[in-house]
Amino acid sequence: MRTDVQIAICGSAGEGTIAAGDILRSALAAAGYRIISFDAYPAEIRGFGKCVARLRATTEQVYSLKEKSDVLVCLNDEYGIPQVGEVRDFGAVVYEAKSITTLAAGAHLSAHLRPAQIPYPVAIRELSERATGATRSRNLVALGFLAGLYGLGVDPFLRIIDAKFKNKGAIAEPNRKAFVAGQQAGSQAFKLDLVSFGQPSAGQKSTILSGNAAVVQGCLDAGIDTFFGYPITPATTIMERLAVEMPRRAKRLVQTEDEISAIAAVIGAGYTGARAATATSGPGLALMSEMLGLGTMAEVPCVIFVSQRGGPSTGIPTKTEQSDLNMAIYGSPGDAPRIVIAPTNVEGCYRCAGKAFEMAERYQSPVIVLLDLYLSNRYETVVMPAAPPFEVDGDRLASKKELGPGYRRFALTKDGVSPRALPGMVGGMHVVTGLEHNEMGRVNEQPDNHEAMSRKRHDKLLHALHHPDFTQVKRFGDEGRVAIGLLAWGSTFGECLAAMFRARTEGVRCAAMKVVMMSPFPVEAVAEFIDQCDVVLVPELNYQGQFAHLVQAQTGRTVRRYNRVIGAPMPVEEIQAQMRALLAGDERKAA
Amino acid sequence: MPTSPVYLEDKLREVRESGRMEYRSRSLPTWCPGCGYFSIVDGLPGALNEAGIQPESTVVVSGIGCSSRFPFFVNTYGFHTLHGRVLPVATGIKTANEALTVIAVGGDGDGFAIGGGHLPHAARRNVDLTYLLFDNGIYGLTKGQTSPTSALGFRTSTSPYENADPPLNPLLMVLSYGATWVGQAYAGRPQQLEALIKQAIAHRGFSYLHILSPCVTFDKTDRTYQNLGMHVTEVPAAHDPGDLGAAMRLALQVQTPALGLYYRESRATMGDGLNALAEKAMGRGARQRAA
Repeated sequence: MRTDVQIAICGSAGEGTIAAGDILRSALAAAGYRIISFDAYPAEIRGFGKCVARLRATTEQVYSLKEKSDVLVCLNDEYGIPQVGEVRDFGAVVYEAKSITTLAAGAHLSAHLRPAQIPYPVAIRELSERATGATRSRNLVALGFLAGLYGLGVDPFLRIIDAKFKNKGAIAEPNRKAFVAGQQAGSQAFKLDLVSFGQPSAGQKSTILSGNAAVVQGCLDAGIDTFFGYPITPATTIMERLAVEMPRRAKRLVQTEDEISAIAAVIGAGYTGARAATATSGPGLALMSEMLGLGTMAEVPCVIFVSQRGGPSTGIPTKTEQSDLNMAIYGSPGDAPRIVIAPTNVEGCYRCAGKAFEMAERYQSPVIVLLDLYLSNRYETVVMPAAPPFEVDGDRLASKKELGPGYRRFALTKDGVSPRALPGMVGGMHVVTGLEHNEMGRVNEQPDNHEAMSRKRHDKLLHALHHPDFTQVKRFGDEGRVAIGLLAWGSTFGECLAAMFRARTEGVRCAAMKVVMMSPFPVEAVAEFIDQCDVVLVPELNYQGQFAHLVQAQTGRTVRRYNRVIGAPMPVEEIQAQMRALLAGDERKAA
Repeated sequence: MPTSPVYLEDKLREVRESGRMEYRSRSLPTWCPGCGYFSIVDGLPGALNEAGIQPESTVVVSGIGCSSRFPFFVNTYGFHTLHGRVLPVATGIKTANEALTVIAVGGDGDGFAIGGGHLPHAARRNVDLTYLLFDNGIYGLTKGQTSPTSALGFRTSTSPYENADPPLNPLLMVLSYGATWVGQAYAGRPQQLEALIKQAIAHRGFSYLHILSPCVTFDKTDRTYQNLGMHVTEVPAAHDPGDLGAAMRLALQVQTPALGLYYRESRATMGDGLNALAEKAMGRGARQRAA
């Protein structure tokens, strides 16, 4: 039987909502289901604001969350009431049966259910108290109830609870007890809803990872040597995980005083031949932009992970957005080309992270890996390769013949990449400067030299468009001529893919293309795709249509855009509505 | 005046045979004739030569400004970076390759204005590098504007009436930030300067040498050779370089700047700290096995 169940857990910050979601997705992944999961939480740490943990467990590959959840668990009435609407008909709503205070009429969640939604009032608080002597394990009681109600195996849950709380003193045992109490209550409940879990898919062993965790794994597998960073949401977890993992491998991580220092140190380390990286978000990238120009000018390999959040300025730090594309591609003084790649899913985060080090070294350039909060924080099950698929050393080092008194660090070669001499190498001494320089690295402001060097810095990056074993663009759906095409980048591609597959089931000939290589731009492939579509729609999570601008400028072709800045993933239904409007030629409805 | 005549030929032979020219590049300094920085570009090669540090295992890193052109004039690896960013770039280099001798150079604007946020952290972390700060109290490369060490009342093109902001006290700052070697030199006393550079490089940890130097082109009134020569004094022989309080009191003596070693302390470097961390993370002994 096919399984496709989406569960949402809603509560207040500090009630263990996100932790419950984390245990649930890990347990379901361990049981063999495919998972895609994304939590929404406020900026405050505790006591304020609504948290919603959401996950979709399936047996088939899916690309996004569903608009409607099958099950909602409410740990908090106040925050739960507005969420009730997201539960489908004949779906389940689990909520606290016995509030501690007497609520006014209409204030209790049960008054807000639709007739077709199946209510499961559970004495969550009481069960927690009875099992553990305290009310704080309510989240585990609720999880246990779900496991019991849907007949999910208990072992994976208990294993994950033990692992999660093993370093937190004596709370593993109460949490276990709370889970078991909930599980017993759930297994005795009379099941009325139409939600069911089939057997999970057997097959390859998969791992459940967040986008940021996948980035970390990619860095480690590519042999990262040094990391310098400054905390900023939503990139911080990259540094936090690396801070655990890198010292174990005798690699070095330093928390710097600001983002300027972080990128400066990364460039210093890259200059010595080390594989170096930093991670930041839009505001940090803004601070780094001058130094990135030096990276381009000095031709130093370095990797910058940028996880976008709502902007401009400090913006909306805990909500997702795709509005730093322009800055990632263009943000530096002068003509400062660099490589920008943007993965579209968690597996892509791993691949792009590893490939970024390869590219940085091979083309002697800064490489920006552009993520966003939705991608950084979402979890997916990923089948990891048996061995890291990355080249660990691709430096074009100067040969003995090239070294010596006439050594030219910035020699104009056929592919634009010049032989590097690293500090310590005899006969390779030279000065690297942010000033325009000649092949020897000496300051030179002559017009011919400036043009030749500008050409070198641009043209060498074009080879990245043919970088081995790297997906630049990929087309899905119908082949050949189609009525409508979706063109997307970053996390939004998952929703576009879902919209495209649904449109095909409605009989529309359509296709979707993801673009991973943002700079240099794969002009030919994208132009060819646009030419095969009667109309092309570009949905993205920014106000101006930054990617649509890029596509139009690079290909000289017109696309239709659909932009939302809602701080959340693009609703698949909205993409579908835009597609229908465009197909019907209804200009009023099309954005 | 010397009692016997000194011939140029003899001097040239002496310099050539000393080996210090190995550390000089073929590019001639672009500074104005009479600039105090010439003593520094002479002092560093001398110090490196005497210490027996190979040119190819030395990286001279700089920011932007007159002094930051320095890497072009020495024959080592060089990195001429961005305005104010010499210390973080140098920190990155040292972190990635501990075998290199890293010399950071920069001016007062580079180090105390735009780059002022980096100095406390390089000092407290005790990054094992030497920072040579060329302080002429003015922005020379942009043709004479006020700097954070310009005197109160000093006139420049950006303070045409007078400088209304008091200067900061670099030595006092660096001492309180936790630098483990702090000294002051004067471009007009090249032998002492060279000796201090040598000591600073030999120090394991963050060494800071403050070098007073006149800008002969844009400062005709304040920090001239004449004025500096009249006012500089020596660090008293009785001064204890292990006494931080005494060093700070010495740094407060701004009207008669004392030349010499102010403070010296032996403390774990950033590299030591990172190694200890790795050992902790890997379990004792595992690090050696991995290496």
